[in-house]
Amino acid sequence: MDALELCYMSAGELSGLIRDKQVSPVEIVDAHLARIEATEPILNSFITLLPEHARQAASRAEAQIQAGNYRGPLHGIPVGLKDLFNTAGVRTTSGSRVMDNFVPTEDCTVAARFQQAGAILLGKLNMHQFAYGPTGENFDYGHMHNPWNPEMVTGGSSGGSGSAAAAGQCTITMGSDTGGSVRIPAALCGIVGLKPTYGLVSRAGLTPLSWCLDHPGPMVRTVEDAALSMNAIAGYDPKDQATSLRATPDYTSALTGSVEGLRIGVVKEYFEAPVDSEVEAAVRAALAQLVEMGATVNEVSLPMFADAQAISGTILMSEAAAYHRDLLASDGGNLTPSVRLRLEAGLFVTAADYLKAQQGRARFNHEMAMLFNDVDLLAGPTEPITAPPLLANEVAVGETMVGTVAALTQFTRPYNISGTPAISVPCGFSGDGMPIGLQLAGRPFDEATVLRAAHAYEQASEWRLKRPPV
Amino acid sequence: MPTDNPLDRPSFDYLAGVAGLDVADDHMNELYSYVQAALAVTDRLHELDTTGYEPDVAFDPAQFYQE
Repeated sequence: MDALELCYMSAGELSGLIRDKQVSPVEIVDAHLARIEATEPILNSFITLLPEHARQAASRAEAQIQAGNYRGPLHGIPVGLKDLFNTAGVRTTSGSRVMDNFVPTEDCTVAARFQQAGAILLGKLNMHQFAYGPTGENFDYGHMHNPWNPEMVTGGSSGGSGSAAAAGQCTITMGSDTGGSVRIPAALCGIVGLKPTYGLVSRAGLTPLSWCLDHPGPMVRTVEDAALSMNAIAGYDPKDQATSLRATPDYTSALTGSVEGLRIGVVKEYFEAPVDSEVEAAVRAALAQLVEMGATVNEVSLPMFADAQAISGTILMSEAAAYHRDLLASDGGNLTPSVRLRLEAGLFVTAADYLKAQQGRARFNHEMAMLFNDVDLLAGPTEPITAPPLLANEVAVGETMVGTVAALTQFTRPYNISGTPAISVPCGFSGDGMPIGLQLAGRPFDEATVLRAAHAYEQASEWRLKRPPV
Repeated sequence: MPTDNPLDRPSFDYLAGVAGLDVADDHMNELYSYVQAALAVTDRLHELDTTGYEPDVAFDPAQFYQE
């Protein structure tokens, strides 16, 4: 089988071939390692690549499958983890040279669950330093580059996860999302990114940015692969006090292809903010397509959208500073200056303001819960723009100049505050060939509806079939 | 109510010392500008009516007890 085709197959497609012994995990891993070798000089998706580890794991998987011990749809599937997921015996840098020699002795829960499912770790993926930035720029390990145009950012903070999945370097990647860090690179790189409900996927063994806003989530090329990933990693973990005891369903059973009867609310404030005209056109076309498919779409209002930056920014700054305080004291001068500034600024937020932000969060979540009395999903653009150029501090959104960080996080932050599930699914391309994402968000623990709608739209459109030029 | 200048320079210098920051002057100037901008965003919280809402922080008194 053609090696490049193997790299662009989904886990759903590869798993059938592996199960039926038409393709071996060794062949799949070799194809991906060759793809990485060919594209990594352009993309810089990885901080640590594990070719020997991956080949050995693939050989073991092949032997297990030949012996009749097929573990399920992730057996033999190549996976990459953002480099803040602890991996036993493999350095985990969190995107900082300061952590260059940190080699965990234990896998994080997500890595352990992927391993249990038979997935094969290809390496650790590049990221914005300590996940504290939405662009995917890294001055320690080199910037990540967008596979659709390497002069543009991948988005972040899980930028390497975005580029690796989009360019066929990995079948499944994992990111973490505190203000949008799964969905931003997913939208800008043209892939699917799911931020699950807070407490559904364990944070144990991940370097925190903000304890109460961090959400690990899959970044993949198809919605089915997001569901398959969730089947492996979701669920209670005694090592993470935030995880829920709820039973988790088979998420693939939600992928019916139908949106009949679904009520979708379009958050009007998203379109009152500056939004690029091509992005708005693509998102509105996607919503029209969902209507044609049987959903109802109505405008709704989330007045507290305007407060999201103050609420989440205050919480994020405080918690990030609290976690990294010792590091700031010991190695502040060795951090990327912009990350250092963000971390140090958190030291100046008062306890009263932090608690005021948590009160605001409660009110925000009450307001959002009221919206879900009348709709099943909320929809809008994931991003107001396509990927901006590397190192741009400001970006043009229509005729307005906006700070890059604020622009990239404004539509994603609200669902970190609410902790509710949100997905970015490709919904078009700009005239210059850059991807656009549609964001769909659901009620807490209702990933099934989010995945159902995203999958139905994905299958009715052909965006997933486009490949980046790299 | 929001203020035009949430943190004046003497207060900033004092708090930086309390926070244990030991930074060069150039960086301190840059940090002061950044902190002012960041606190201006935080300051918007003061316009928000949160009457009746308790801080939304998770606390489970049983979490560290064995079953």
